[in-house]
Amino acid sequence: MITLKNVVKTYDDKTVLKDLSVDFPDGKTTVILGPSGSGKSTLLRSLDLLVRPESGTIDFGDISLDYSKPVSKKQSFDIRKKTSMVFQNWNLFPNLTVLQNVTTAPITVLKRPKKQTEQEARQYLAQVGLAEYADRYPSQLSGGQQQRVSICRAVAMNPEYVLLDEPTSALDPELETQVLLILEDLSKMGQSMILVTHNMEFARSVADKIIFVEDGDILFDGTPDEFFNHPTTRIKDFLSGITFNDTEK
Amino acid sequence: MWHIIITSLPEMISAMLQYTIPLAIISFIFGLILAVLTALIKFIQPSENKLVRYPWLVLRAIANFYVWLFRSTPLLVQLFIIFFGLPSAGIELAPFLAAVIGFSLNTGAYASETIRSALMSVPQDQWYAAYTLNFTTRQTLMKIVLPQAVRIALPPLSNSFIGLVKDTSLASSITILEMFQVSQQITAKNYQPLLMYSLAAFLYAVICTLLTFLQHYLERRTSRYVKGSEA
Repeated sequence: MITLKNVVKTYDDKTVLKDLSVDFPDGKTTVILGPSGSGKSTLLRSLDLLVRPESGTIDFGDISLDYSKPVSKKQSFDIRKKTSMVFQNWNLFPNLTVLQNVTTAPITVLKRPKKQTEQEARQYLAQVGLAEYADRYPSQLSGGQQQRVSICRAVAMNPEYVLLDEPTSALDPELETQVLLILEDLSKMGQSMILVTHNMEFARSVADKIIFVEDGDILFDGTPDEFFNHPTTRIKDFLSGITFNDTEK
Repeated sequence: MWHIIITSLPEMISAMLQYTIPLAIISFIFGLILAVLTALIKFIQPSENKLVRYPWLVLRAIANFYVWLFRSTPLLVQLFIIFFGLPSAGIELAPFLAAVIGFSLNTGAYASETIRSALMSVPQDQWYAAYTLNFTTRQTLMKIVLPQAVRIALPPLSNSFIGLVKDTSLASSITILEMFQVSQQITAKNYQPLLMYSLAAFLYAVICTLLTFLQHYLERRTSRYVKGSEA
């Protein structure tokens, strides 16, 4: 389990995370929802220290860390070893082949044997339907294919948690579906995931837990059933605001 | 005319092989090493650790001073100071060594800015992706950022190299018998300045044309991963 307590993050004079406390349970899929600029991505990025909050604590299995104190290289390594991030624009390494994108980190960082790592990577790629793309470069793949590779890259590090920062926001609906199916599989396999998304249908079907963030505050922390079937007024507004419905005019 | 060309060519080509080309290649290699170091010192943000931070800031000040100094003064003046000036301070250098030092330092200062801009052109997101995979800064540079930066830096670095080949003609002013100096000496004997200097110009153009081919080859090699590249 990951537990954040009293996390505060400010950019210049804007407070992005306001004294926020939340749990992310093991083996579950936690979905973070909220309007743009609410602090969702900042929250997610605090978990693997791509963003450094000014204060608060994170408890992550055997690691406890106080954001306000200097973080040692070892601490940051240990936390990042437990997490892998999937980005909105996938951020594959363009100079490496698809296979190398998946294998370079396990081989370089975890010192895993090359042959075995490549075999495993090919299996991951086969699972996402990209076996025959292993030796191509990312630029030769579509956005949806690249995002599937980046999911393989994240999973190949054997993280405890996969963090996904709006993984399908840059994809058209057809490509989005390809990626969502893979994430659904991962979720069903019991991979711990924390997912920021704007896709409500997907959130509803895949989430074990929903967190609704607005203006750096957590306005909701509970089950999908509560969130979608018994929403508060603000959540109702949010849900209806993002659904196209011209009968309301 | 052909007779003059044929009799003077061996001498000029020998000067080219003995001085012009070695000067250019050796100075470019040292210049490139200096440039990469200088660019990295200016590019990498020092960690919060004070033991690393302050020495790094000192290094950065030195790097800034170095680039400022060599970009703000003429190459010819730099060569004169190194070869004719330094002996007064008790440092006497052989002409060839003085030339290599001058050309290397000058090339390094300019090329460092080329390399720094190439490093900056690699998106920040590449660093984030590498950090989240637990790459160290060094691993990120070696495996991810530098390979991408090299591709960006190749055309302007080729400019520097080609410029350097031609600038080696300035070494004639510090007593080196490079190709241009030889053409001047031959001219003094045969009174054919138009022919001899045109011949020198032609030989420089030959070297630079070969370098242009090399540039195209390297560009194709380093652009393999880019969409629409031929290779």
